[in-house]
Formats: sequence, structure tokens, C-alpha cells
Amino acid sequence: MVPEPLLEGRELRVVRDGATLVHVERFALAAGEVHVLLGPNGAGKTTLMRALNGLESAEGELLFEGRPVRSNRDRLRLRRHTAAVFQQAYLLATTVRANVESGLRLRGVRGQELKRRTDQALEMLSISHLAARRRKGLSGGESQRVSIARAFAVDPAVVFLDEPMASLDPPTRRALLADLELIFRRLSTAVLWVTHDTEEALAVADRVTFLADGRVVQEGSTTEVFNHPASAVVAEYLGADVWLEGDVVFGADGDTRLVLAGGQVLVCAEAEAGPAVACIHPGDVLLFLAPPQTLGASVRNVLEVTVRSLRPSGQAVIVTLDWGEHRLEALLTRAACEELSLEPGHAVYAAVKATAVQVLPRGAGRRP
Amino acid sequence: MQFILQGLYQAFRLLFTGDSATYEIALRSLEVSVAALAVSLVVGVPAAAVIALTRFPGRRRAVAIVNTGMGVPPVVVGLVVALFLWRSGPLGSLNLMYTLQAMIIAQVLIALPIVVGLSLAALQQVGRGFRLQMMALGAGRWKMFLMLLREIKVPLMAAVMAAFGGVISEVGAVLMVGGNIVGQTQVLTTGIVTYTSMGLFASAVALAVVLMILSFSTNYAMTLIQQYGTKSA
Repeated sequence: MVPEPLLEGRELRVVRDGATLVHVERFALAAGEVHVLLGPNGAGKTTLMRALNGLESAEGELLFEGRPVRSNRDRLRLRRHTAAVFQQAYLLATTVRANVESGLRLRGVRGQELKRRTDQALEMLSISHLAARRRKGLSGGESQRVSIARAFAVDPAVVFLDEPMASLDPPTRRALLADLELIFRRLSTAVLWVTHDTEEALAVADRVTFLADGRVVQEGSTTEVFNHPASAVVAEYLGADVWLEGDVVFGADGDTRLVLAGGQVLVCAEAEAGPAVACIHPGDVLLFLAPPQTLGASVRNVLEVTVRSLRPSGQAVIVTLDWGEHRLEALLTRAACEELSLEPGHAVYAAVKATAVQVLPRGAGRRP
Repeated sequence: MQFILQGLYQAFRLLFTGDSATYEIALRSLEVSVAALAVSLVVGVPAAAVIALTRFPGRRRAVAIVNTGMGVPPVVVGLVVALFLWRSGPLGSLNLMYTLQAMIIAQVLIALPIVVGLSLAALQQVGRGFRLQMMALGAGRWKMFLMLLREIKVPLMAAVMAAFGGVISEVGAVLMVGGNIVGQTQVLTTGIVTYTSMGLFASAVALAVVLMILSFSTNYAMTLIQQYGTKSA
């Protein structure tokens, strides 16, 4: 039996000035799961989160712990059982301790219990030493830790995190992300995390809902969404820039193959026969100077390709490859690139697992 | 020059010998102004919150009226209150003309737009994000109102000081509706006017010094409240 969701929205529709900003047929958050709302800026992630938290009025039905949330009183009850952290920390003009206490005080917690739970939250976010400091003396990372401590102090059933890392520098972000992963693992709190960052989503999510233009495009486990994007919009967002057009056919040995214009063949994951497009995430393409001998059975595609160009991207390098008239991309570390001594014009071998070839019916999403 | 020094000497003599008439006028001034300020705060701050935090038809017009109200000359306020409270006026049956209550009403009408206008501006400076965060934290309307007041403590206290300064130093309206009756409705400002017109400069200076001390000490106390806790931000 499927457990009842902790928080559920049915036919949620947020309309402002006559325009529908978000329309979600169903969204469910299970107890204890970390659910990421992923999508580009302006997709409606924050609006949906606010509607689910009772901060934004929405048409449709909202259920918390199986009970409908309709009146202002219901919404206040929902907010008293949940907590939220926004992109900005929005701390009160007082000390760190008083800030962490504020949510507990609103729930009537006093005395030793107040002190115990505040101390616990401060310790959990490693900010006990900041307890007496006032808000203006804090860095961005410290402020956000205070905001998160304030949220977890109330022992909420759900924590809503709206782009909590967006205004932090990379080292602060990495440190906070690592701490949050530990906290999520330790506590049974359900988390709804809004982000446009795929790395953040991969790091924390049990489930992912991908939003675009105010609609849910795909919902599933993190592995499902990242490994099997249901549409070109999702695939593109997750990093697939190169698209191959062809026809899906079934081989005599039962393989599913994508036959490209020019005759090249890619063994791919299960797909329906007919016209299709495929994308391969650059991270799924491995490069070798000689035909690889020791790859697993799942690597069904070894392609003879030529390096067209190399483009640095952060700590990595994106290598563009010519495969006949088609183009592929591979994502390599700088060290791997140097080891292979890659230069434009070099002939190399690209190995791709069949499951890494994402096949979509032609016409799904924006691509042909 | 001699009469100025004489006035100062007289003022300090009256103050330090505990002259009952001087203290009575000072207390009456304080009573009227504090009462007017209290009413203005109780009505004005929630009104500012409603205007700042909610959307309703005519909201912009309400803001314009408040801002205009901040600049209305006190004598005009005095005239309007006098017209209403005059024996044959709409509220004449209440018999409030030339009473302390009439003076308080006039001062409320002077202080209220200042309290509403400055509180409104301060509340509008607090972004929607902060308000959403307070709501998300579990604050109901009343708690959120209190949290917002705490957030705008510095500009709110500035509004209180501006309103208090406006009413304690006001002369035109209280003169018109209070009548400046010695022992009954005479306050520091109207007393100064009376003594000056009578050529009793020493007494006028004495009341002026009391007024200044009163104004300075109350503002100093309010500034301490305003600045408490803001030193290290």
C-alpha cells in the first residue's frame, strides 16, 4: 500500500493579474523524503513552493497530513508544523540565539525546553559560537546557517528551502551543502528544496520534480529524472546539448538501435520503433587513444571520432568530437585531457553505454 | 539685555523653588501632549500597518491624504475642531470647547498624520520577503505586526519623537480650542504667548526654559529607547 503523502497539492493553480503562473495537476511530498523542485528561472518553482506552504493563495486542493488546508486558520496550522528558508536569511534585528528561538517562541516553547532546543539547533549548524552575535555582524553563510537553524529548531514536519545556496560563494556553499546532507540523513524531516542547480539536486534529492513554464514536465526519483529525461526540455536542462536524429529499429539480437542519417548506428536503451532523437550527456562519453579492451558489457558503443575543439568549463574541459557528419561532446577533467594530450584533429575512440543514449520520440519537447 | 538675564534668573528660581503654578502648567502640557500622542500611536500605527501591508481600493488616495495631513497648519486644525465643538456646531452638545479634551482632540489630529505617515514609510521599507519569512515562521497577523514593529523600531521611534515634538510645541490649535484659561487650559506654549504679549518676559522665559527641558528630556529618553540594542547592530 502506498503511504499517504505528508503534503499534497491537487490541481493547484496560482493566478496573478489574470495570468496563470503555476498549474500543477498533482504534487506529493512523502514523509522523510528530500524532494527537489528543479527548473529554469521563472519556471514557477518558488510560486509552487509558496502555494504548498500556504504563503501564496492558490486554487485547487492542498492537503497536509491528509487534512484539507482551506482557511487562514488551516494555513497557519500548516505553517506552524513546517518551516521555510529563503534565498535571503531574513533575520530579526537581534542576536543569533534570539533568532533561532523566534520560531519556538511563536509555538509557545519556553524555559529549559526553549534553551535545549535552541542549543541543539545552534550545534547542529555549527554556530554555537555565534549565539551572542547580532545579525549585522554575520557573513552571508553564517546568516543562512542561522536561518536554517531557526527552521530546524521547531522540529518541523516539512522544511521548505527556496534556493538557500543561491547567494553564497562556492566554498561556503559546499560546506553548507555537506552539513545539510548530514542533517537530512540524521533527521526524518521531509524537505522540499527549490533550486535551478542540477548539482545541488543531485547531491541532496531523493525525488525530483522538473518544472518549466509553470507546469510539471517530469517527476520521479533522482536517478530516473537524470538518467531518463522524459523530454528534450529536461534533457537540455540537465546538460545534453548535442542531439542526434535517426530511426529506432530493433536488431536481430534484440538490441534497440538508433540508425542515424549517414548510416552510423548507436545501441541505445529501450525505445519505441520509429523516428526519434537521441542525446548523450557529455559526462557519459569516455575517450580513449586506442580501442578500449577492458570495458564492461554495458558499453555497447565504441565510436571512432575526431577531436574538433576543446573548451574549458570550470574545472573540466568539454571536448567536441566529429563522428562522421554528426557531433558529440565529452566532459573530461583537465588532468584527463592533459594525460590524453588531446588536440584538435586527433583521432580517438569514444565509448558510450547503451543506457546513456537517451532516446525520445521525434517532436518531444523543443527539439525536432 | 537685562530683562533676558532677569528672565533666565527668574526661570531657574521658579524651577528650583518648586513654583506650583509653573509645575502645574508644565504638567498640563505634558498631560495633553502625552494623551494625544498615546491616542495617535494606538490608532496610527495599526492604521499604517493596514495601509502598508494590505491592498484595497483607494489605498493610494489614503496614502496621499496621510501625507497631506502631515503638512496641515495647526491653526487650520484648530479652526476645524473649533467649528465642530462650537456650541452651535455638530458636536456642540458635548460641551468640549475650552476643555483639555478639546485640546487633546486637536493635538491628535496634528500628531496622527505624522505617526501614520512615518510608520507607513518605515513599514514599506520592510520587504515582502521578510514578511513572508515571518509568516513561514508561524507568525499570525498579530505576532507579525509586533515583529514588524520591532524591525522598524528606529524609524518608529523617530515618528514618535516627531509627533511629540509637533504637539508639545504647538500653540495655534490649543489656543483656539482650549482658550488659554489660566489654571484650566493654559499650557506652556500658550502661557509663553500670553506673558510675552503682556510684557512679562521673565515669566515667558521661565516657561520657555521649562518647555525646552521637558522637550529635551523626553526626546532624550525616547532616543535612548530608539538606540537601545543598535550599537553593535
